[in-house]
Amino acid sequence: MSEPSSTMSPRSGETSGTIPSRAASSPSAPIITISDTSFQYTHDDTGVGAANPTVADFASGNATSPADLALSHVNLVIRPGETVMLCGQSGCGKTTVTRLVNGLIPNFFHGPLTGTQFVCGLGGDGANGAENVPIESLVPLVGSVFQNPKTQYFNADTTSELAFPCENIGMPSADIRARVAEVARRFGIEHLLDRSVFTLSGGEKQRLAVAAATMLHPQVIVMDEPTSNLDATAMRDLHNMVAELKRDGVTVVIAEHRLAWCADLIDRYVRFDGGAVAGEYTAAEFGKLLAEQLEAWGLRAIDLAPYRAALQAKTGVAGIVPDGGEMAERTPVGHPLPAHDLNDGLPSEQGTSQPLAIAKTETSSDMPAASSVGPVIDSAGRHPSVASVLADPSEPQTECQSFVIGNVPIIATHDLTVGYRRAFRRDIADITLYGSEIVGLMGRNGAGKSTLVRTLCGLQRPLAGRILLHDAPARPTALTRAGFLVMQDVNYQLFADSVREELLLGLGDADDVIRQPVDVPIAPLNAAQSSSSGAASHGMSVRDGNTDVQPSATPYLHPATLGEQADRVLESLDLLPFAERHPMSLSGGQKQRLAIVSAIMCGKELIVLDEPTSGLDRAHMMQVGALLRGLADRGKAVLVVTHDEELAALWCDRIIDLDREVGA
Amino acid sequence: MTDVPVGRSGPRAGLRLDPRAKLYLLLLANLLLFFHVDTRGEAIMVALFLLPLFAAGRWRNGLRLAVLYFALLGLGLWSDAVTLDGAGGGSGGSLISMMDGGANVGDGTAAAWATVGHVAGLLSVGIRMMMPCLITGAYAFTTTSISEFVCAMRRMRVPEMIVIPCMVVIRFFPTIAHDYRQIRNAMALRGIAAGRFALVRHPVQSLEFIIVPLLMNATFVSRDLSVAALTKGLGIAGEHTCMTVIRMRWFDWATMAVCTAPMALAIGGVL
Repeated sequence: MSEPSSTMSPRSGETSGTIPSRAASSPSAPIITISDTSFQYTHDDTGVGAANPTVADFASGNATSPADLALSHVNLVIRPGETVMLCGQSGCGKTTVTRLVNGLIPNFFHGPLTGTQFVCGLGGDGANGAENVPIESLVPLVGSVFQNPKTQYFNADTTSELAFPCENIGMPSADIRARVAEVARRFGIEHLLDRSVFTLSGGEKQRLAVAAATMLHPQVIVMDEPTSNLDATAMRDLHNMVAELKRDGVTVVIAEHRLAWCADLIDRYVRFDGGAVAGEYTAAEFGKLLAEQLEAWGLRAIDLAPYRAALQAKTGVAGIVPDGGEMAERTPVGHPLPAHDLNDGLPSEQGTSQPLAIAKTETSSDMPAASSVGPVIDSAGRHPSVASVLADPSEPQTECQSFVIGNVPIIATHDLTVGYRRAFRRDIADITLYGSEIVGLMGRNGAGKSTLVRTLCGLQRPLAGRILLHDAPARPTALTRAGFLVMQDVNYQLFADSVREELLLGLGDADDVIRQPVDVPIAPLNAAQSSSSGAASHGMSVRDGNTDVQPSATPYLHPATLGEQADRVLESLDLLPFAERHPMSLSGGQKQRLAIVSAIMCGKELIVLDEPTSGLDRAHMMQVGALLRGLADRGKAVLVVTHDEELAALWCDRIIDLDREVGA
Repeated sequence: MTDVPVGRSGPRAGLRLDPRAKLYLLLLANLLLFFHVDTRGEAIMVALFLLPLFAAGRWRNGLRLAVLYFALLGLGLWSDAVTLDGAGGGSGGSLISMMDGGANVGDGTAAAWATVGHVAGLLSVGIRMMMPCLITGAYAFTTTSISEFVCAMRRMRVPEMIVIPCMVVIRFFPTIAHDYRQIRNAMALRGIAAGRFALVRHPVQSLEFIIVPLLMNATFVSRDLSVAALTKGLGIAGEHTCMTVIRMRWFDWATMAVCTAPMALAIGGVL
């Protein structure tokens, strides 16, 4: 076992010389044994909880109820050469297990640990702190790949990053160079050598991360959600790397939400739930499980074929839309269209009607975020998926009005070329974005998705072509006023001291309004204030019109102040209990919602989300989807940049595929 | 093998010095400033400092710095000339003579010229004296890869507790630049401090809006980096090696000697 591959034997002698390789004694002896292990993070949620910002939903929940253990009485045995998938919902403990294996627990993440853990023959009684295995002794034995490709590099250039582990164990420089060349050849990443890490795409970064993890020829590789930021191509590359490792007899432990990308390589699935092992399945057993069973467990689909087919169908729509013909015909009837379209496309695919059914039930049951989105704009609409415009024709949203009557797209592009002056240039087929519609923007890493999105939001100038806002050519500043981008890393977008102030920030002279007591029932309307603060006034008048239609639907129906409106919007997205909290103390999902809420407050019409579901389990993905639907139901044009085929298939009304457009 | 420079990666033709020789040049430049070497010695030193930059193939950079230095030198000489025959006294660039010139503006055009000359002299001398440091610094920064730098530090037996923070700082520069751009974008989208002059009009508020998310992200990134570095053995005791080989060759020693000589002579008052 100390010699995972024969190809690398010339060098592995030296490393294994310094390594206690007891596991080599008998081939069938387990390489990882975790028995009766419980663990609890001692840090608060601002410490560890945000270690994986995307699973922070759990972590904060964990912190608020200290009784919850990250792991409780876990027993897990992994034999050499096995490829094991740890799956389960966010916060189920799978990441914690990977940290046990690579020694970050208890060396870096502290907390009470009980039970025994043996990794590659090293280990002992976790309860006895003195006998903890120092993380340094695990370095040559366990390689680690982490979730975020941006932050797992210690060096600024790729070759140094590969050399880094070897340098740290004190290998001679000639050997390091030979090892770098060997690993690069093995994984076919020679072209990535000698480059700045900051110029690599997400997929390239993750391949490099795997290569760096294998530099010391470890017996075990643990991967913590390695694909959360990757596109399909990059996942295939990663799959091939895992296959290579498996062929060489390396034990691979993957903690992951997305199950499909390496399904053919997995020997065994371990499902975690609430910090305990809820079930172990061989690949065959797991493959036989029904899709709805996986969904009930909150797992992503193992077979993406139906989703891909649905995507295909939706991308077909995109081909017709640019000339406006079909859309023009469809949209006046259009508002219910999104949901129906979803239904029409899918049932033909066997097995996918089920996910949809679940999507519906989840929407109504465990997605308070979505189901309560309705009341803010039109109190009648309780079903976020079916637009309520037809039920309530006097839908007061102005965009919608113009949308229904004139059928004017919010954003349209003509002969657009996006890019940077020298570095990058890309022609974009004409795009039309209407209100009340969720459009998915897909394409491989580096296809120009983010450049396009930045151009649509006015953050950079188009190299050529025009962007029309409500059918009139718009300058970038106007686009910036009309559009909003929810960044993948929401932390950049939150500025204020409290959640409520966050909403009122940038609304002009709203300062005194913030301090206004909120639950004053009908404060004298300071009309001057509300109309002067331009962005919000629009929303206010909307509410005015609505008042007589639905007088008692929500307690805060009479708009008095911006502060009240802010609270109402907050409530609609379940953020009201946190109104006084500091935005940075929220969980990842809450931060995302807060950013969206701030966009709603600013009266933005186009809301773009960049990878909103990366690293999310199924339930959270569905929650985000419902949120998107809620936005669309408010008449916003929603554009989602995503690699998540499940999200795109279940929630997007149509798909713009930048890869495909190249040929067209 | 690793030739990605600390700064922007560019053409890497030509001859490059050992990082330790570069550090030595940087030290010399600082000594030059410290000992206030006279103009002639300074010009010679600057010329010598510019040579390695050209040898490394950084023509544009080298020319720009050379032009800047000699323009400043010319300006300084001109101001000397003007002030000497204008106000009729005082050494060029001295603050007292400049104030004199300022007081006697009414005396006519000569005095006005003298004032201009004094101000120009003051500025040119001030900036010019920094130039040797700038030139050697630019050379060291643009032609040294991080791994070379780290290797040099390890060879010089600098303790790891200094080496690692240096690596982290270098690693963080691009991250901060990227974060800053993202935050400015986010502010533009929210209509907070948008526009070119907003930062100037509300400096404190803008600083807060930028600094807080910047620090928040730095916290997250630093934790992730620590985790990644620990699992790759940064904490292992014992000697850490370097993949990059650095070697002091004859031209390293020669450069150091050639640059030291005029310096020593100038300080000794011979030159």
